[in-house]
Amino acid sequence: MDILPALLTGLALGSIYGLIALGFHITASVCGAVNFAQGSSAMLGAVLVWMMVEAGWPTPIAIGAAIIACGVYGLIVERAAIRPFLARKSEAWLMATVALGLVCDNAMMLVFGAEPRSLASPLAQASIKAGDVDLGIYPLHLLIPLVMLTLAAGIDLFRRRTLHGVAMLAVAQNRDAAAIMGIPVGRVIAAAFGLSSALAGIAGMLVAPLSHVESSMGVVLGLKAFAVAILGGLGSAWGIVSAALLFGLVEALVTLGIGSGYTQIVTFLLVIVVLAVRPDGLLGRAQVRKV
Amino acid sequence: MAILVSRRSILSGLAVGAAAALSGCGQRADRIGIGLITALTAQSAKSGEAISRGLSIAIDEINANGGLLGRRLELIRRDDESNPGKGVIAARELLYKEGVAVLFGGLDTPVARAIVPIATSARTPFVVPWAAGTAITHNGTAPNYVFRVSAVDELVDKAMVAFARNNYGARRPGLILLNNPWGQSNEKGLKAALAATALPLAGSEKFEHSDVDVTPQLGRLRAAGADCLLMVATVGPSAQVVKSLDQMGWDVPIVSHWGPAGGRFSELAGPHANRVKFVQTYSFLGADSPAKTRILAALETKYPDIEGPQDVTPAVGVANAYDAMHLAGLAIRKAGSLDGEAVRRGFTRIGRYEGLIKTYDAPFAHGQDALNESDYIWAEFDRGHIVPLPVKAV
Amino acid sequence: MTILSHRTATSSFWCLCVLGGVAGALLLNGYYAFVIGQIALLAIAGIGLNVLIGLSGQFSFGHAAFYAIGAYAVAICTSRGWLPFWLAWPLGVTLAVGVGALLALPALRVKGPYLAMVTIAFGLIAEQTLVEAESLTGGQSGILQIPPLSVLGLALGDRAMAIVAILVAALVMTAYNLLYANGWGQAMRAVRDSENAAASIGISPTLTRVVAFMISAGCCALAGGLSAPLNSFVTPQSFGLNFSILLVLSVVIGGAGSRLGPVMGATVIGLLPELLSSFEAYRILGYAALVLLVLWLAPRGIAGAISRAAPDHAAPVNAEAFSSLLPRRHRDALSGCGIGIRFGGVRAIDNLDIVVPAGTVTALIGPNGAGKSTVINILGGFYRSDDGERLIGEQVLPPGRPWLSARAGIARTYQTSALFDSMSVEDNVLLAMRKGHLGKLYGGALNRAAADVRHARALLKTCGFAGATSTCAGDLPHVDRRLVEIARALATDPDILLLDEPAAGLSRTEKRALGDLLREIAGAGIGIGLVEHDMGLVMGVSDRVAVLRTGVLIAQGSPAEIHADPLVREAYLGERRIGGQAATVPKNGEPCLGTYALHAGYGAVDVLHGIDIEVRPGEAVALLGANGAGKSTLMRVLSGLMTPRSGHLRFDGLQIGALDTRSRVCQGLVLVPEGRQIFPELSVYDNLRLGSYSQPKGAAARMASILERLPRLATMLDRQAGLLSGGEQQMLAIGRALMSCPRMLLLDEPSLGLSPQMTSDLFDLLKLLRDEGMAMLVVDQMADLAVNLSSRAYILREGRISATGASADIISDKSLEASYFGNGA
Repeated sequence: MDILPALLTGLALGSIYGLIALGFHITASVCGAVNFAQGSSAMLGAVLVWMMVEAGWPTPIAIGAAIIACGVYGLIVERAAIRPFLARKSEAWLMATVALGLVCDNAMMLVFGAEPRSLASPLAQASIKAGDVDLGIYPLHLLIPLVMLTLAAGIDLFRRRTLHGVAMLAVAQNRDAAAIMGIPVGRVIAAAFGLSSALAGIAGMLVAPLSHVESSMGVVLGLKAFAVAILGGLGSAWGIVSAALLFGLVEALVTLGIGSGYTQIVTFLLVIVVLAVRPDGLLGRAQVRKV
Repeated sequence: MAILVSRRSILSGLAVGAAAALSGCGQRADRIGIGLITALTAQSAKSGEAISRGLSIAIDEINANGGLLGRRLELIRRDDESNPGKGVIAARELLYKEGVAVLFGGLDTPVARAIVPIATSARTPFVVPWAAGTAITHNGTAPNYVFRVSAVDELVDKAMVAFARNNYGARRPGLILLNNPWGQSNEKGLKAALAATALPLAGSEKFEHSDVDVTPQLGRLRAAGADCLLMVATVGPSAQVVKSLDQMGWDVPIVSHWGPAGGRFSELAGPHANRVKFVQTYSFLGADSPAKTRILAALETKYPDIEGPQDVTPAVGVANAYDAMHLAGLAIRKAGSLDGEAVRRGFTRIGRYEGLIKTYDAPFAHGQDALNESDYIWAEFDRGHIVPLPVKAV
Repeated sequence: MTILSHRTATSSFWCLCVLGGVAGALLLNGYYAFVIGQIALLAIAGIGLNVLIGLSGQFSFGHAAFYAIGAYAVAICTSRGWLPFWLAWPLGVTLAVGVGALLALPALRVKGPYLAMVTIAFGLIAEQTLVEAESLTGGQSGILQIPPLSVLGLALGDRAMAIVAILVAALVMTAYNLLYANGWGQAMRAVRDSENAAASIGISPTLTRVVAFMISAGCCALAGGLSAPLNSFVTPQSFGLNFSILLVLSVVIGGAGSRLGPVMGATVIGLLPELLSSFEAYRILGYAALVLLVLWLAPRGIAGAISRAAPDHAAPVNAEAFSSLLPRRHRDALSGCGIGIRFGGVRAIDNLDIVVPAGTVTALIGPNGAGKSTVINILGGFYRSDDGERLIGEQVLPPGRPWLSARAGIARTYQTSALFDSMSVEDNVLLAMRKGHLGKLYGGALNRAAADVRHARALLKTCGFAGATSTCAGDLPHVDRRLVEIARALATDPDILLLDEPAAGLSRTEKRALGDLLREIAGAGIGIGLVEHDMGLVMGVSDRVAVLRTGVLIAQGSPAEIHADPLVREAYLGERRIGGQAATVPKNGEPCLGTYALHAGYGAVDVLHGIDIEVRPGEAVALLGANGAGKSTLMRVLSGLMTPRSGHLRFDGLQIGALDTRSRVCQGLVLVPEGRQIFPELSVYDNLRLGSYSQPKGAAARMASILERLPRLATMLDRQAGLLSGGEQQMLAIGRALMSCPRMLLLDEPSLGLSPQMTSDLFDLLKLLRDEGMAMLVVDQMADLAVNLSSRAYILREGRISATGASADIISDKSLEASYFGNGA
């Protein structure tokens, strides 16, 4: 009887990772780099909403402002930790984003405090009842996968229907050709990082009511999200969406079946095994080897 | 990024600065160093701050009375990030470089246990105001340099089982433990305590600090027929357990170690925070005493964020550290010098001391722990404040 | 003398480091002794990780796990009294090396972020396993009170253990120095710099990477094993992701790949907490900020920022004859029989038979896109052909695994020269001389045997390389790269040498020298397979020439026969005439596009030397010349994709030299690039729509009128552009360019790879555009097409304008043929 809520909760958590992982996908497909400390953006989203609500802002405005702020943080990441290194054709952005994430986490700890705080939401107070049966989940649990699917579809639509979205795909496929179309390649890459951080911020504020707000909350979220992104294939949005749901389900099932001590072992072993068999992720496309 | 100065000169500047900073260290003879190693960053920072405050108030009192051996006390803090490796390095720094007379520390049991052999080999008393791991004081060393003014896991575990049985008539308790060293060591203690009272165990479940959702673990316990939960976890994770129970709609009593007392538990856990009953060594909301009034006044003056007894959280950190510092002061007085061995013997020769938690009578004459089962009180959250339960509970 | 002093200086520096550390451990206060011990441990692990990161170029965020394996092996065995430390320690290292080999298997299949994930996952699994295997590892609490190290029954104190750690670090450093210079270390760097080039001198990239993984794992376990008694406890939390990141940081901050780096990094990372200890909560912030600062300011780490190049002390050698440099032996011919390969369903090479006999030069020529490089890649074993087989002599070569082909006697060079850029020129050649036999891991430096060094230098000298052999290959000028690449290929003492466009980017004199060199090499008995665009060179040096067109051999024979072959002439110059010669545009108008004294190049190569071109409004101008003459480079410069070294660019009376690509497009100067470069995964509609990115106003109406003109595209608007035929893609590329309201089109090789029918359709369209008054600059290999379309033409030869005039005059001019087929033939 407890299986259903556990599975639904698993899907919800998987979707949180999925939202952050979509951010990895967006930047990786445009310029091959990712913000390794994407978890910090998620943390930022949650912490900023908390701070603004605490300061008396209406919740919808706080949410909107926090998403924008996360986007701006993404632009900062691109400017400080990605662009200088891509220009040198160096992979040091890897370390640079990790370091910038540490700076962000610790700066927020000084501003926000080290203690966890609670971000209450009306969507996570009364569990859903189907007739007389208590489903054992909150409306938020159902909302999260919906948000992920909607945003994934929205991004897909944006990239296929709007001129700016198509331009983003064009930069991903052929940077030079995009440039001769008059597409400002540098700005597209920066925008991708902004969008990516905004997505992570949304994930952070969605997960906060289920858990709590803390300056260190992003680390594990970011790590699992990265696992999801790699599992699904950095190049494939729908691969990531499926991997996210799969990852969440496996987490819940392993905990339910053999106990939580083995959850990490099993899920990350799954990642290694998948990569050993499919080096570009579940739905990722193999790169052509050039000589 | 405009670089006006060459990279090389910036780097060499950094190196020179580093060298200058290194050479500035050294010992001073006009003060007695009191070392503290605790978590100042990450999740346990609030508790670390509480210990600092308890020590500071006591040190201020001692200094106001002329210090010890004609010298002033000075608190030197180091962050261990809850990591034993960092704790060990910090302990060596305080013991060998700063030459502290007494080392306080150990918020987390693994850190405290890792420091024990170092303090022992440096022959400096190590006083533990928080970490409850039984093995910290029962460490097999002789002479034993480790003293504790705090709860002891083994005793807390027994008290938790007794409380569950007496108050809730628990017949089949389940364990829900944080997957960290503290949880793991209490798992052993709780299982032993259950075995001693011949209560069957419904199950033992662990969860991670970062887990947003504990329903799978709780679901397993519910399926196994648990009628009461024994919980060992820090603030955030404890709140996660309560929230997951709410989500599942499972109304079950929780008897807890003192983890929830560490922060804003009631804010995090929501309306059902008072479902959790937990052990404490002291509450500022209990009966008044002259010590309590004095200390509260001092805290309110020194720390602007404290406006009343409800703001002193976690109270156990402040209270344990305060008493521990005064006991250490008495030990140094008895010793008459800062020699480690003399101070250690000084601890065992402490007589009567009217402290905050209780009046101590030869606390370390027969053992290394100043507090025992009879000093524990039970508490719950009431509108955001930790209030002691009526005494009948224990 | 100088060699001695440099070496002495280096080794005395290291001795000083070790002595200083030991003295510090003995004399300083006990705490500093401990800190020095910790730094030594970090250095040991860092040096090991540097083998992986610095030498082999792979990042790992899971090496804390290997450290943990070493630490736990010692902790478990000694605290339970199973084994003494001195047995438990090697046991842990062995275990870690084994696990490292195991992890290398999945890790090798992935790159970049995927590799990072595999190693992170491995680290997390290892950490969690330590927690769960409680009965053995003590679970979360770990193992406490590990007995201290003892020697001959005497327990060692902190100071003594710190000294042991320093000595081990010194040993590991020595081993690293050995590895750095010997066959294995150089092979790792070679694989990092260019996996393909490494394979082509007989090095197996897989094996090399696995070994790097194993060594780094072993070093981390070595440090871990020592850390257990030094710290006297182990817990799983000490070996989490943070520690892995710290290890990587110590390598990166110090300078990956350098000898000094990890020691520097360990010192900084080890001492930093001391400096920052009183900052408490701000400490980690400062720490992270410092890392960012180092990454910004010193990309090659601290060691890289302060390192100075070692003085050059190459003893001069004289050039010799190849016959004396290369062993006299029988050399086999290479033959490919019935070779065929498909790429994504398209047949790139079809049933090709080709023989490269020993002692001769066999050239393979053909227009761009004919599949010449593909043939070279199949012959060298880099591509697995779908049909056919390769033989060297009588022996069949296994497909794939190019290093085996290299060991069997096939050497090669690359179109864009692939040297091991981080290694010295001499080491490039010395490594190749090993032909994949790398010797012992602790073997001596490659350059230790004087005879080897002399041989390498003689080879370089004989190939015409006159520079210092200690120069870093990455710093070489273009010509020298070509020569070194050939010397490196010859160092493997091959039967067959395959050269892919060796003359690209060389000047005329350099080409002549190259031709002589090739003849000499063939004279020494080696068979040369040559792919080259410079017809002068090909015709001059080849014994036989084979002509490839769209994957099929259309002619074979002696250079004279090939030159006379009408099929070949058509393949290059084209024979079709398209009516309607363009009207000459009056000279008096202000030029629409003008370039003045334009110089440009890539890296060390100068491609354009002072180009002056003018295109008047409404005028179509052709730009002719052989491959490699600089036409595409000029197009890239004009479009803004490449920044010229010097010179002026004007468009419509405006200086556009400082404008970026986007602004030039907005001005109306639009490039239709070589190879079409449509966006293959977007629909035809989206491709067209992107054309209007800079001019979104009225896009719909424009699209309608363009589709009217390109009716074929109108029927496939929803089709993925990558699925279109070559001709349709070219139409799309032009349509896309028209969407941005161009006033002038730059057309780069529009007819490339198109069928004759498609080509004439395409040029009909271009003619139409020209007649409507669109200015255009056309580059096309099919000279007749471009000439017919244009009213004026420029001939580009080796980066200079060699002739200019009315198109009708140019086509009959001898200089056009000379520019395509070379002078001599």
